[in-house]
Amino acid sequence: MKVKKLIALGLCAAMVSSMTVSPVLASEDAAAEETTEDAAAEETTEDAAAEEETTEDAAAEEETTEDAAAEEETTEDAADAEDPTAQFDGLTANEAYEFPMIVKSFQSTYWDAAQEGMKMAAEELGVTYTPQGPNSESDIADQVNMVNTAISANPVGLGLAACDTSSVLDALQECADKGIPVVTFDTGIADAPEGSVVCEVATDNVQAGSVAAEHMYEAIKDVIANAEGQVIIGEVNQDATALNIQQRGGGFIDKMIELIQADGKTVAVTGNEFYVNAAQGADATEADADVVIQVAVPAQTTVELCSTEAQAILSQENCIAIFGSNQTAAEGVLAANANLNVLGSDPANGDVVGVGFDAGSIIKAAVQDGTFIGAVTQSPLMMGYYAIYALTAAANGQELQDVPTDGYWYDATNMEDEDIAPNLYD
Amino acid sequence: MTKKKSSILSDQRFIVLLVIIVLMAVFSIMSKEFRQYSTILSMLDFSYYDLLMAIGVTFPLITGGVDLSIGTGMVCYALIAGTMVRSHGWPVTAAMLLCIVLGLAVGALNGVLIGVMNLPPFLATLCTCMITRGAGSLCSATPWPALTQEGGWFHSIFKITVGTGRSADRYPIGFLWMILLVILMEFVLFHTKFGRYTIAIGSNKEAAALSGINVKFYHVMVYVVCGLFTGLAAIAYAAVTPTVQPGTGAGLEMDAIGGVFVGGVAASGGYGSVLGTFVGIFVIMLLKTGLPYIGLQANWQQIITGVVLIVAVLIDILKEKKKAI
Repeated sequence: MKVKKLIALGLCAAMVSSMTVSPVLASEDAAAEETTEDAAAEETTEDAAAEEETTEDAAAEEETTEDAAAEEETTEDAADAEDPTAQFDGLTANEAYEFPMIVKSFQSTYWDAAQEGMKMAAEELGVTYTPQGPNSESDIADQVNMVNTAISANPVGLGLAACDTSSVLDALQECADKGIPVVTFDTGIADAPEGSVVCEVATDNVQAGSVAAEHMYEAIKDVIANAEGQVIIGEVNQDATALNIQQRGGGFIDKMIELIQADGKTVAVTGNEFYVNAAQGADATEADADVVIQVAVPAQTTVELCSTEAQAILSQENCIAIFGSNQTAAEGVLAANANLNVLGSDPANGDVVGVGFDAGSIIKAAVQDGTFIGAVTQSPLMMGYYAIYALTAAANGQELQDVPTDGYWYDATNMEDEDIAPNLYD
Repeated sequence: MTKKKSSILSDQRFIVLLVIIVLMAVFSIMSKEFRQYSTILSMLDFSYYDLLMAIGVTFPLITGGVDLSIGTGMVCYALIAGTMVRSHGWPVTAAMLLCIVLGLAVGALNGVLIGVMNLPPFLATLCTCMITRGAGSLCSATPWPALTQEGGWFHSIFKITVGTGRSADRYPIGFLWMILLVILMEFVLFHTKFGRYTIAIGSNKEAAALSGINVKFYHVMVYVVCGLFTGLAAIAYAAVTPTVQPGTGAGLEMDAIGGVFVGGVAASGGYGSVLGTFVGIFVIMLLKTGLPYIGLQANWQQIITGVVLIVAVLIDILKEKKKAI
């Protein structure tokens, strides 16, 4: 019997270590790489600086070229014209701070790129950080536990990319009570308790979704104009719970509706209830709309379930385009296409136009060979980078404003550009 | 004990086959998109790893045990082997062998914990499930070579692609291997010492031990066989999943185990067949693939699959009762 108890104890130890070892190893890796990659890091900082400039340029261009559609936004844009990253100019850390950085998972290379940015910033500022995250983005309870554990150590600041925005609200209240400044990155928390979140470093996901819609519409507008009968545009979202996916999916749908209606066609949105209810401006029923936007959400965030959903959309004869709103969803679309083989870059000849989101080697290859006409990438590197800066500033006691980062369109022609390439992680 | 005078109608496998035909018919009538060759192709693509896991886990289930580590294990092996190909330049053949070796090793660990050290199967494999899940997360997301890349030939094990692009013809040759494997394992289960002892352990372990069977050894072997098939499943999984994602895999074992139960393995152990598993898995796969085609939200797939499972197990229990009377 003693043997049994010993074994049971040993197993428990193994379990615990297997669960804790992965973030630890990740940070060790990061430390090991630091020494060898100094030179590379310097280069990328330069790139980052260059990138900031080009971002502004791009934003400025967009404002000037876009017409009526942008009118509503111009007032906001004018107010935001001051670069929010200017608040970090000349920042130094008052102490060698240590921040827990809680990411959504180590599941995709996206988060590796974010950590790369954190590492750069931490080196520049002389602070340290501990990356932590659950096994997968669906492990909401695990992440909440990690947040609570981190808070109980009374850190000088907490970086958080929440898997589920509503489940961390209690923890955030505790941060507010204890006076721990929280910087959210990647995913903002809209209804965070007052005084908890001091800064949000996140992609403007509504903008990123609408960028995808604009470029997709550019490719398919002739097809829509010449269509006899109804056509279908598909969208695969990996979930309907995370704010960034909600905003991105919604941003795409709303922009698409706007563009289609501007050309005098009617639109209906069908599929997942959340997105159907959130969509603004749909003016027709499924039966008589010129264009139907079908939104699919799988039961779990896996590539194979995304693929099944995409397959069901793509195999309809009148489907003309499809959008996968993150790496998992976009890869699901590609997996479905592996058998259907309908995606391509010549919509006039019946190709279905595919647009992806995020990077990763599979999506990059698809953009390169024309399976996807392009994709939108975020800047995880810059998000990780500014999150550390914001935390340091907050720990110094500085007042902060949010730092929105853009979604960038990339296709086969600009993948190598120096303002795009650093964000195209493998 | 006696299943001599059972007519074909009382055979659960036959009933399940009918269910498959009915499901096919319903989906085909309700959605014309479903009636396409490409639908069958992708359904088969995603069925191979489920089926391989299910064939493997049939054996522990027949002994009255279970193996919860197959889902996370499969993903873990595919990740580790994929990382070897990507980052260490291993040839794909070596990576495939590694999948199998890892599968055998974890299977043996499960077997020793359960058969020799007498841990409850649920607990032991729950632990290895967590271990493999954590170990898999040490790697980052790993794509195996794509079909057109060097080493991409392994995709052809499961699906032969002739030509390129739009005009390519695809043949789901993996289905043939699955049928051969099912026949082989059905033979192993009913006509070899190993198979009959597996059933004996499931029916009555004490009696089996008293009659001179080396129960410990065969109990371990049951989990080793399960591990072997999990290793094979890892290869099939890598062949159909663009990027193997760390941290996934939990829940995949439930599709496989569910399929086995639909196929008529007694919930208490002691009876079952690989052929039943084969048809059972296709019920699960049909529900998984077909429901989105008829416009049902994905959540319904899980609800309906759950209900189907309850019905399947109930049929099994009712049959047992009838026999008892």
